[in-house]
Amino acid sequence: MVFINIKVIQDYGPVILSGIGNTLILTFGGFGMGLVFGALLAFAQCFGRGIVRRVATAIEESLRSIPLLVLMLLIFFGLPELGISLSPVQSAILAIGLRSMAYQSQILRSAISAIPYGQVEAALSLGMTKAQLFSTLIAPQAFRIALPGLVNQFTIDLKDTSIAYAIGVSELFTQSIHVAQVTLNYLTPLLFVGSIYFVMTFSTSTIANYLYRKFSIPGLGEASHG
Amino acid sequence: MDEVLRVENLWKSYGETSVLRGVSFEVKRGEVKVIMGPSGAGKSTLLRCINLLVKPDRGRILLEGREIYPKPYDAIHRIRQRIGFVFQSFNLFLHMTVLDNVRVGLVKVKKLSKEEATKIAIEALRMVGIGPELWNKYPAQLSGGQQQRVAIARAIAMNPSIMLMDEPTSALDPELVGEVLNVIRDLAARRMTMVIVTHEIDFAIDVADEILVIDDGKIVERGKPQEIISNPKHPRTRRFLERLKRRVDHGLR
Repeated sequence: MVFINIKVIQDYGPVILSGIGNTLILTFGGFGMGLVFGALLAFAQCFGRGIVRRVATAIEESLRSIPLLVLMLLIFFGLPELGISLSPVQSAILAIGLRSMAYQSQILRSAISAIPYGQVEAALSLGMTKAQLFSTLIAPQAFRIALPGLVNQFTIDLKDTSIAYAIGVSELFTQSIHVAQVTLNYLTPLLFVGSIYFVMTFSTSTIANYLYRKFSIPGLGEASHG
Repeated sequence: MDEVLRVENLWKSYGETSVLRGVSFEVKRGEVKVIMGPSGAGKSTLLRCINLLVKPDRGRILLEGREIYPKPYDAIHRIRQRIGFVFQSFNLFLHMTVLDNVRVGLVKVKKLSKEEATKIAIEALRMVGIGPELWNKYPAQLSGGQQQRVAIARAIAMNPSIMLMDEPTSALDPELVGEVLNVIRDLAARRMTMVIVTHEIDFAIDVADEILVIDDGKIVERGKPQEIISNPKHPRTRRFLERLKRRVDHGLR
């Protein structure tokens, strides 16, 4: 009983690995987009009023409620019907980015509201403007509190790039499926690609742990060690 | 300019509950006013109204002769620079070292250079007895008494016209109360103008030029410390003082 067919890896390993570029593009593109717009969304939800706040909440709620696969197919196959055509890679980044945005806004929002209000009062009583309050207190503390959640979202985005298989982006998973279909051997290419995802997420969390230690401050964001 | 603070007929309610019901008093330069009264009497709200963290409903507040409520003579954040505030729960910035906590207002708000700010901050820290071995520690690494002394240093570094202290020792373990009260006594000796809310009777007798007793949103009695303590006129003051004394007798303070 042989689980791993070494010959398949020798012959087709490079084919699978050739998908890594697209996987990284989708990961960083989607996560980066999610961070920028997620921060804006969180900002709107925490500090916005009336309609701004409600629109932000509606965007967040709806994007969190739609499966990523549905979102991606909507963008790739649905938008052209409205005259907006995006490439598979663009569609995948947009879909992953939108979903990541919704979750990251939630992570950032809870981090902002976790800052004890007494510190806000202390900053105001020193005479800080709202902008100074945000840059000296809220942003640095919220970032530290949010860091573990953001790293977790990064690894989710990384693994979910595999859904771009559905619209034909040649990333890691798509390549491994192609190899499986050619060799009629599913076990080896899928275990191989699974281990590549494992190595990437594992190294991400190792780097993250280093970051937690580097940025950790006694009494702040203790949860990051847990 | 002799009068630093004047509060006229201040009212504040939260929904149906009126917290302040026509409070008036004034504070002269170098004077220490102590506010006493049962919890829920409106003491914290009164202090927060004075530095505009809480917006009063009506009345008038003047700082050094200029109106700050209802028509502030300047932007509120600039007015607040002139009013030091010390909180019951210290409220130090948790992501900053001790030195940065004291420096941040000088650098960000007063736009001083880092060197100048450091000089002033160190002077303030020395005044409250926080030595160099603690300057690079974070608040969570300090005792409550040390944290409150840093918080006092943070406020006095801004060189305010008046200091407001909201039960500065109520959140402290009993053995740490003394060190903070001594720092405040020291400030009083330097003629710092202060309004202090506290339950510490002995301390109040020591530092107060006048004690104001607040109950149910109103000043029910005011006068020299000895008069109020030894011969309270208002029945509510009498009851309140008896309760406090009983706590002291039982060592529950």
